[in-house]
Amino acid sequence: MRKLYGTALTAVMASAALLTAGCGQGLLGGGDDAGSGEKKDQPIMLGMLIPQSGSEAAIGPYMSNAAQMAVDEINAKGGVLGRKLELKTADDACDPQTAAAGANKLVTAGVDVSVGGYCSGATLPTLPIFDKAGVPMIIPVANSQELVDQKLKNVFLINGTGGQQAAAAAAWMTKEGAAKVALMHDNTSYSKDLAVRTQKLLDEPGGPETAILEAVTPKESDYSANINNVLAKKPDYVYWTGYFQEAGLLARQFRQAGYKGKIMVGDGSVSPKLIEIAGAEAAAGVYATMTQTPETLQGAETWIADYKKKFGSDPGPYSNQSYDAVRLAAEAITKAGGTDGQKIVAALEAIDGFPMFSGPLKFTPEHTLSTGGFQILVVKDGAFALQDALQ
Amino acid sequence: MSQLVWNGLFVGSFYALVALGYSMVYGIIKLLNFAHGDLYMLGAFIGFAVLGAAGGVSAAMALPLLLLVLVLTMGVTGLAGVVLERVAYRRLRGAPRLSLLITAVGASFALEYGMRAAAGADPRVYPVRLGGTSLEVLGARVTLQQLALVAVAVLLMIGLNLLVTRSREGRAMRAVALDPRAAALMGIDVDAVISRTFFLGSALAGAAGVMAGAHYGKIDFMMGFLIGLKAFTAAVIGGIGNIPGTMLGGLLLGLLESFGTFWLGGEWRDVFAFGVLILFLTVRPTGLLGERVTERV
Amino acid sequence: MTGPGEGTPPAAPASAASSTAAPTADPAAPPRRTGRRGAGPRSIASRLMENRWAGLAGLAVALLAPFVDATPYALSVMTNAAIFVMLAAGLNIVVGYCGLLDLGYAAFFAVGAYTSGVLSTRFDLPLVATLPAVLVVTVIAGLVIGAPTLRLRSDYLAIVTLGFGEIIRVTANNLDVTGGPSGIYGIPGLTGGPVSFYYLTVLIVALAVVGAARLGRSRLGRAWRFVREDEDAAEAMGVHTYKVKMAAYVAGAIWGGLAGVLFGAHLSAISPTSFTFLQSALVLMAVVLGGMGSIRGVVVGAVVISVLPELLRDLADYRYLAFGVLLIIVMLVRPQGLWPARSREVAK
Repeated sequence: MRKLYGTALTAVMASAALLTAGCGQGLLGGGDDAGSGEKKDQPIMLGMLIPQSGSEAAIGPYMSNAAQMAVDEINAKGGVLGRKLELKTADDACDPQTAAAGANKLVTAGVDVSVGGYCSGATLPTLPIFDKAGVPMIIPVANSQELVDQKLKNVFLINGTGGQQAAAAAAWMTKEGAAKVALMHDNTSYSKDLAVRTQKLLDEPGGPETAILEAVTPKESDYSANINNVLAKKPDYVYWTGYFQEAGLLARQFRQAGYKGKIMVGDGSVSPKLIEIAGAEAAAGVYATMTQTPETLQGAETWIADYKKKFGSDPGPYSNQSYDAVRLAAEAITKAGGTDGQKIVAALEAIDGFPMFSGPLKFTPEHTLSTGGFQILVVKDGAFALQDALQ
Repeated sequence: MSQLVWNGLFVGSFYALVALGYSMVYGIIKLLNFAHGDLYMLGAFIGFAVLGAAGGVSAAMALPLLLLVLVLTMGVTGLAGVVLERVAYRRLRGAPRLSLLITAVGASFALEYGMRAAAGADPRVYPVRLGGTSLEVLGARVTLQQLALVAVAVLLMIGLNLLVTRSREGRAMRAVALDPRAAALMGIDVDAVISRTFFLGSALAGAAGVMAGAHYGKIDFMMGFLIGLKAFTAAVIGGIGNIPGTMLGGLLLGLLESFGTFWLGGEWRDVFAFGVLILFLTVRPTGLLGERVTERV
Repeated sequence: MTGPGEGTPPAAPASAASSTAAPTADPAAPPRRTGRRGAGPRSIASRLMENRWAGLAGLAVALLAPFVDATPYALSVMTNAAIFVMLAAGLNIVVGYCGLLDLGYAAFFAVGAYTSGVLSTRFDLPLVATLPAVLVVTVIAGLVIGAPTLRLRSDYLAIVTLGFGEIIRVTANNLDVTGGPSGIYGIPGLTGGPVSFYYLTVLIVALAVVGAARLGRSRLGRAWRFVREDEDAAEAMGVHTYKVKMAAYVAGAIWGGLAGVLFGAHLSAISPTSFTFLQSALVLMAVVLGGMGSIRGVVVGAVVISVLPELLRDLADYRYLAFGVLLIIVMLVRPQGLWPARSREVAK
């Protein structure tokens, strides 16, 4: 018996010794790596939370590739303030818990600016973490109103908000003379928010009315039951606010079910994959509400070509926002003259007319885009093309 | 109304095909094979690769070619199932049953993210698509291709049922399912029978994967997850381990979803389907056709 | 291939030396290994494992860990691990002790997290003030989910619990009061900083673990194990199986619900994506990986399951591939779990 006690005691003592030995970052270690001024020779670190696993994993590479491209371009020109940029990605799996751990990991790694954030629900718990660490956040994609409602000084949204997109969608459908609109979403926060906001706008007198608000389960293959519900209300316009995989299936299955009206999709669905999944025939004439994309922008052909050359595939949803987030971060650090969080925030607030894909940038007092810059695209000859700039 | 029924039956026949493998494996080694849905995914990707290798095909040749691909894929997916059993399950047969559950979930992760590493996270689109010339049957819009797919599914299921109830191999399977020890004493090679069962179940899942790919077009590495859960549900509704019951269970689940969407909207569909399922099981605790078995008296 | 339940797997180890009165692995259990002397030499490892100081040593490691690494990342991972331990300890009551296969345990987790989250954000209550409500609601949830499942056995039970898990998640996703798909944010914390929160969590979780172990050794715990081993025999011997199973459910619900409160306080935001089937499966994996019914094993299993994906984070795209392969390997090497219950009762 005594021997056992002895062994256990030794084990405890050994582990205690081990614990005290490596106190570099422990409670007694006295934070020797936290905020000790400028690290002149080290690279400036940009952190990026993106989904790399789980249901939204397909989006991750589009974002990280484009961000990496911006980093490489800036580094090729000598970096920022004489220092190189370095991109550090972390998986958020579109899950709050994983995202919070990932955000903490980035903070611990000492990132200077965060340029990630895709799922609003997973981005929310990361706000206080970055805030506490004094890390400014330039959120490229997540755009839920709740992010704004936190009123955190360090949070900047460079994607158009749901309200702005809903306004664009409602304006276009009114212009088109739609009578009954079916709104379909995938029951995720971004998609539902956009659908419900559009519904509110349509409910105002004049213009089209909402025929039905239908939710589908994402990641399935057969939406005939939902389509059946929608067609029973005989709409002449369908607006899908979710992502491109379902958009492709829906467009195809709507046409197979004999639907003759018009189909429009939100910005999450603008991808060549939509056309591929739906097939050229079913995709033709599908409208989309979208911020300016490389495809619709004059002079962006080289950007697309560069991207293709580097990664062997087309840029996808949110590639351009991610690219811009890195460029904007570099600009703000340059203006701030260093990586001090507060100075970067001040520099971001002061930015006026910085050229981005979505147009010249100036933040509102709420730290969102002053104009969403939403346009209407249409699928023509197997690709998205500009239909109406909605000016 | 008839449209709702048809939609439900069509989706349900996919569930049934996948659920059969679940049910057979459960029947024989009492394992909830969580990786089964991923074999469906694997089948879809194998079919995709084979079609890609075949190159461009004219529309007229699409159907025969797809049938050929279907058979090939069934073979390859079946073998994958056999390998899965060898690697992840066989050594644990004597261990607590839930240990197998862990390796099954582990295998599921490995298959999903292995495929992600191999084929990328982006969805792929089948090069050959079954189009849709639709016709009206009893007021429901039905396409010929849908009918063809359902016919294939039904044929596969009938074939399986015959195999299990009439053939020597089938008898061996049933014997092992009833009592592996006694079966072994009677000279049945239990390992071989289990391998065969995995082959059959996985082949059916692979067939469903190819059919889904050809019909819906889009495939991705996570596509097996949801249908795996659904198939498990279907297998239980029908009486897990019972083949005709499982087929019925698949169809019933498809119908439940179709009508649930119609009555309550897409948001509440799963609540409806599971709610009905729970109520049903409280009334009939062993599923549609499952026999009431007194456990270990 | 006809009915379920027929024929247990062939190799049921004949280890029935002690099944009902077997001492569970409990940190505070008095050493009773006289009866096992002469069972042959045991390795130092297995002797260490059965030592009663193991639990305290584990607690000591948990308490000392922040002295080694107190970066926000490490604290966040460790806090997550502690919360996960609590979940696993709760599920162990249901699955490990009572033998009821539960595939929807995240439902209780969600109920606890949402109840405290909704009350604290809507009515500006401190989190502690929501605890009575959390207890009431989780007990009700345990009763509601438990009641229809009691007639069911093993796999039918599994699907019904899975169904309840999905129903709770989808409902949380659809209702306005729960914040819909984006969930609830701005949940107040319990303490000032991450370090103090970590210590508070460790303290609560330690109490919960010891409590679960004590329950397991109590009269009720013996009844649970009797039901697990042979429900019919238990009933024949006068055990009120209905009540006993219900008690397991309710206890599991309370543990899960309280873990949910900690979860919300830790992250400050919750959303339906945290309560998917995958979460339920992961908790179950922790229980089985550690060794069902063995509280020490379950603690180790939970730490492994929650920390391993973080350790593998640098593999990025290959993270879950490696996770899956490792799970298979671990189970092949240790089929009974990492740290099985000493009596080696056959789990069903």
